[in-house]
Amino acid sequence: MWTKQAGIAAVLIAGLGVGALAAVLNAKPEVSADSRPDSSKFAIDSSNTPGFPKIKGGDFDLVDHNGNRRNSVSPDGKFQLLFFGYSNCKAICSLALPNLAEAVDLLEGMNAAVTPILITVDPKRDTVETLNKSVADIHPNLVGLTGSEENLDEAYKAFNLEKKFLFEHVDEGAVYSHGSFIYLLGPDGSFKTLFAPVISPVRIAEISAGYIAEEIVQN
Amino acid sequence: MLTKLFQITLLATGTLIGSGLTPASASTAGKVVEIKGEIIDTWCYFSGVMGDSDATRGTAHHTCALWCAAGGIPVGVRTEEGEVYMVLKFKGEDPLEQSDTIMEIQSDIITARGMHYLRDGVNYIVVEDVVANDGITYLSHEDYDSVPPFSAPKKKK
Repeated sequence: MWTKQAGIAAVLIAGLGVGALAAVLNAKPEVSADSRPDSSKFAIDSSNTPGFPKIKGGDFDLVDHNGNRRNSVSPDGKFQLLFFGYSNCKAICSLALPNLAEAVDLLEGMNAAVTPILITVDPKRDTVETLNKSVADIHPNLVGLTGSEENLDEAYKAFNLEKKFLFEHVDEGAVYSHGSFIYLLGPDGSFKTLFAPVISPVRIAEISAGYIAEEIVQN
Repeated sequence: MLTKLFQITLLATGTLIGSGLTPASASTAGKVVEIKGEIIDTWCYFSGVMGDSDATRGTAHHTCALWCAAGGIPVGVRTEEGEVYMVLKFKGEDPLEQSDTIMEIQSDIITARGMHYLRDGVNYIVVEDVVANDGITYLSHEDYDSVPPFSAPKKKK
């Protein structure tokens, strides 16, 4: 895994100038002795262009893998990392979700615990019962969300998420295409930033910690 | 791992996936830029799964790049200097409707005018207009053949 991440990170640095070499390749993010991410180490990039396009956002009304209703507000007040996908996806989900899970673990170690969320694009197969079995394989804290077609459509619209049924695979069943950005949401469900799936877990964690640290400072 | 990743790349098929973004208000918009570069498949380019990043550009990788873009992998504009701008959106395209734009210009050398945003160390662009399109000019298949090899059908002998 680290070899793969190092490769991704190296190219990111060359092509995008993302982060410092040591921070990306050599080490996990530093853990603060305090019970929160150190705002002196993890800050929102000051070179960010104002007015970055925002997703429309908005609330959603879905059901989690335990059968409880869930909207965009975090019930435990944590930041949230949101991805749209489906349990049976052998394509982008099998890349993005492990990266997401690794970022969540890194953030946990930085005293900046976040809640990972998967909103399904395949509600026919991703029911409460099936999600209950599948999400733990991705991450023990992953919240799988499903719901009615109508309620899921509202969630897709809130994030301008496109999905489309493609074909029926003989072994894997329905195959969908869908958007692949990972969204960082605040505890109140507000959009903070997004990550293309090519961003490494370490950078996702570091960047997320910056937003979390800022929120703590502001409050 | 490579086989799996090839499968991952190629299984992502179908529709163009929008950026999931809506423009900010004009008063807080980014900076207008005009950049010239190649539309690239950012996953294969950055991940290294195909080896040399040059092999993930141009004619050699065109078929795979189409599949990746269709499946939701964000595309980027790679300038001659090697700088990459992640494309957030093409103006006038409704992200909730299907679009052929990216499929039509994937791997092309384009000149794009749009709003540039730097976010978390990454360059993003909302393309307002493609002011020029030189087509696919990098004939990378001469050096790399098809990347991955099974992405293009072979001629019958």
